[in-house]
Amino acid sequence: MISLRINGEVHDLHDVDPRTPLLWVLRDTLGMTGTRYGCGMAQCGACTVHINGEAARSCVKPVGDLNDADITTIEGLSEDGNHPLQQAWKKHDVPQCGYCQAGQIMNAAALLNSIPNPTDDDIDAGMGGNICRCGTYQRIRAAIHDAAKGEVDA
Amino acid sequence: MKRSLYAAVHFGAACIVGVGFIGCSSSEEPAESITAEPASLAVNAADRTAALDAFDVVYEVLQHPRCMNCHPAGDRPLQFDNSEHHIMNVQRGDDDAGRPGMRCVTCHGSDNLDAPHLPPGVSTVWKMAPREMVFEGLSKRELSEMLLDPARSHMTTDEMIEHVTHDALVLWGWDPGPGRTPVDVPHEDFVDAFTRWVEAGAPVPGEDTP
Amino acid sequence: MSASPTAGTTGMSRRFFLAGVSAGSLVLAARISGASTLARILQDEDIDALTFEPDVFVSIAPDGIVTIVAHRSEMGTGIRTALPMVVADELGADWERVSIDQAIGDSTYGSQNTDGSRSVRRFYQRMRIAGATARTMLERAAAAQWDVEAADCVGRDHRVTHMPTGRTVAYGELVDVARELDVPEEDDLVFKPKSERKYVGTNVAIADLDGIVNGNAQFGMDIRRPNMVFAVVERSPVLGGAPTGFNADDVRSMAGIVDVVELPTFSPPHAFQALGGIAVVASSTWAALEGRKALRVTWSPSDHASYDSTSYEQSLLDAARSEGQVARTQGDAKSTLDAADASSCHEADYYVPTLAHASMEPPCAVAELTFDDDGAVTACEVWAPTQNPQAAQGQLASSLELPPDAITVHVTLLGGGFGRKSKPDFIVEAALLARDLKRPVQVVWTREDDIRHDYFHSVAACHVRAAVDDDGMPTALIQRSAFPTIGSSFNPTARYGQSFELGLGFTDMPYDVPNLQVENGPAEAHLRIGWLRSVAHIFHAFAVCSFPDELAHRAGRDPYEYLMSLLGAPRHVELPGVEYANHGEPLERYPIDVGRLRAVTERVAQHADWGRTMPRGRGLGIACHRSFLSYCANVIEVDVAPDGTVRIPNVWVSIDAGTVIHPDRVRAQMEGSAVFGASLAMYGEITATNGVVDQSNFHDYRMARIYDAPQMVHVDIVESDELPAGVGEVGVPPFAPALCNAIYAATGHRIRRLPIMHHDLSWNA
Repeated sequence: MISLRINGEVHDLHDVDPRTPLLWVLRDTLGMTGTRYGCGMAQCGACTVHINGEAARSCVKPVGDLNDADITTIEGLSEDGNHPLQQAWKKHDVPQCGYCQAGQIMNAAALLNSIPNPTDDDIDAGMGGNICRCGTYQRIRAAIHDAAKGEVDA
Repeated sequence: MKRSLYAAVHFGAACIVGVGFIGCSSSEEPAESITAEPASLAVNAADRTAALDAFDVVYEVLQHPRCMNCHPAGDRPLQFDNSEHHIMNVQRGDDDAGRPGMRCVTCHGSDNLDAPHLPPGVSTVWKMAPREMVFEGLSKRELSEMLLDPARSHMTTDEMIEHVTHDALVLWGWDPGPGRTPVDVPHEDFVDAFTRWVEAGAPVPGEDTP
Repeated sequence: MSASPTAGTTGMSRRFFLAGVSAGSLVLAARISGASTLARILQDEDIDALTFEPDVFVSIAPDGIVTIVAHRSEMGTGIRTALPMVVADELGADWERVSIDQAIGDSTYGSQNTDGSRSVRRFYQRMRIAGATARTMLERAAAAQWDVEAADCVGRDHRVTHMPTGRTVAYGELVDVARELDVPEEDDLVFKPKSERKYVGTNVAIADLDGIVNGNAQFGMDIRRPNMVFAVVERSPVLGGAPTGFNADDVRSMAGIVDVVELPTFSPPHAFQALGGIAVVASSTWAALEGRKALRVTWSPSDHASYDSTSYEQSLLDAARSEGQVARTQGDAKSTLDAADASSCHEADYYVPTLAHASMEPPCAVAELTFDDDGAVTACEVWAPTQNPQAAQGQLASSLELPPDAITVHVTLLGGGFGRKSKPDFIVEAALLARDLKRPVQVVWTREDDIRHDYFHSVAACHVRAAVDDDGMPTALIQRSAFPTIGSSFNPTARYGQSFELGLGFTDMPYDVPNLQVENGPAEAHLRIGWLRSVAHIFHAFAVCSFPDELAHRAGRDPYEYLMSLLGAPRHVELPGVEYANHGEPLERYPIDVGRLRAVTERVAQHADWGRTMPRGRGLGIACHRSFLSYCANVIEVDVAPDGTVRIPNVWVSIDAGTVIHPDRVRAQMEGSAVFGASLAMYGEITATNGVVDQSNFHDYRMARIYDAPQMVHVDIVESDELPAGVGEVGVPPFAPALCNAIYAATGHRIRRLPIMHHDLSWNA
């Protein structure tokens, strides 16, 4: 049996192949659909969650490796969607289609955990794995800077 | 000059062999004079040739994309057989394991995954070699000098043999997962060549070596 | 304003909505006649008595909640917010008390086909009518209640006010009276003047913002139904192959596999049909993928196996260099060119490869069917991220042999569309599998499926040749394109571009050239060809906007100053004898207005501070293009490092799209267009070997990312009261030529073949 600790809650998984990527367990087994499929090979970042505080592409993380891990998904990032990044995302009206944005926000949150006040270069390095096909990068950058500075009031 | 110093001081068994050769040579320098003739030059011609042949094998392996891609010149890991810059602006970071938000472990896990182009993994931790431990763009001479310079290689030759024999990241080069060209020299031949080179005093290819 | 996190498409949100309606709401349906449609849209027979057949409707519940139906698909343009804003403004509604509900597919709305950058231009006026109709009825209801003149009653801020006395009544309290009134004639409606608009022209937060940032927004991929299973389909690697054998039993025995099912192979033309193939159905997406990995299918041969994109490129360039079918001619370009001295002629061949859509959410759909006691299908309900629910309805009706009204298409949020999701083939797959499995099925396309089996954007070659005078201005110009036509998806023998495709930036070329000829050469299609954001404008603009830059440098003139000369005097371009679609609008209403094109070009040059000197490796490029009835110009600043790495620090965009509802979403579309343009210009290339597409995922079909996308896009929106025009696609066409023109300025390297990544732009510092 595999036991996953997700957003502070333990989920015991029976009959799940340990090679199954976390993404599909979240989406298909646990019904947590905020973590999204985009490529299945860690190329796009739409499926980003936190594993032990680091950004992780859930599409390439077999659940068999995650028994002792602390996992956070977009559903558990904040109580009421009020993480500074979520507020900054709203302030800047970042999303267009919105599909990649949960992954973007989760990745940015991991970035800010390590670098509370990132430079543009830090953002280019830290966010380079997240594709937004709509092209919202300019606002993502602005929102990360504002969240870092606490300037999130719309 | 410098290289013989490192050879003598840091290379354990190899150093003794080297010094021994110096002692047997026609050189009038005292054996303990470690700033004298480079050890490698003291090796007799046939052994030196054999050792340099062995180093050719080592060089071929270390220049293979599976090895070189994580030993780049600079702070950006490489990818694919053409050793282009790793997509996504991946960079080394303070601990050689990525920058915040884009860590090696963000994608690379504990094992290879079973389809081409999925991020490969190892049982230890996926990370780049230290910044100084460059393979990319080095000639044979430069590469051997790097290996023999502990400030850059961070290892004695003994440690190096241990490293190339057992380290999970090194072994990965022969088991890189589907869709990636493994190192073509068999691993045991590589270890054997590395050992022979070291045991022959780790001679440095001469000035004329490309 | 509230929006259900599901884009209003689940049973849950409809029930919520119906509760409001059945409690005695005022349900307004503007225009036309008939009773059944609204009831069917709401799936409630009781509403019949209240209805007029709508293309748009508004309902107001006794508690004052106004529900506005969004009937166009939301794929990131903000349309689900923008059109309801128009309704709310005319209604005088308080946005905080507006609920937006997504329409199912139904032809009585008029077209729901959300492509062609036409939602606003086609529905702006209709939305005004819907809002004004509702407000007028509320004003009349209040007047009747107070026994005063309706003309003295004004609906605004969610209340009706009697102007002489200042008396007010809330909209909700007027519902019972208003619903008994006659619907006013359209001629009797008085629209709010611009000064009284509260929302149009302002930047209202998009309807689904909260759900998107907290993960709750529901895209097609997120739909879950009781007892649902997941399916992936193995499709023929070469277009047109059919399965001749497969190891179903091996796969069926694997963990989690529910079934392995053959889907019928389409019969040509493929049009909107499902491609066919072998579906693996399982208890989870992962189990289905594992099953498909073990699946071994043999395929029948297909003629398209001869397709090799390298040799095809040569044949396409040959076609573009040879005489073709004439689509527009004025003066005598051919004779003038023939007579011209070679030293006064300039020619160039441009090439833009096949492109894939690669929306972040790949195609996916959920289908749930109803069966009678004999097991025959009686109804079909689907949930899908579709740009065109009516096309889905039609194709499902045909594939399932059901009447269209037995089919309900729920439109979820789209994780990007770009034209791919106008085609309902993937929805049909889900329905066919749900029929076989007799339970709800979600079909998931992997990224590999998406890129290999797309409705691709045409590869194209363009040849341009001009004779120039002493000032370097063309006295004659011939331009010719050759590309596999979208028509090939509907008629496999089609070889030439259709007039609507040539009208996308080629026959309507606006430059002032006395002798001009526009031609098209033949090309065969070997992949499914479809429309992608900006369609043929992409490759036509690449040639039409690159060539003047070449001529300018040839003449030693400033490219901006040269471009303005080439545009010529402000005028309307006439196209006598040309079959020209003008994006479906009459030229009288939407002329080709060179004055407006000049204006955006002047503005963008000014904003970019055109004319500065820059160090080697940096440069500015300019391009202007009319598309989707709007006018757009770009100046791009490029920074080419000595190692050839291209960075784009700044892009300036000026756009004139006529009346703008939501300036911030126009801005967002321009920002996004620059990134879309950067992706296709720098990396976009689909190739094929033996008929099989070589690319499969983002590692070999690359996208611009945050570090190599344009860093700052500065958007200038022309304030205008002209008719609203397109936005979503308008920013893309000028981008690639402006970028390549900038690269020329920076490095002296002229790029005529995309993508840029194939060119060595390194230079000695």
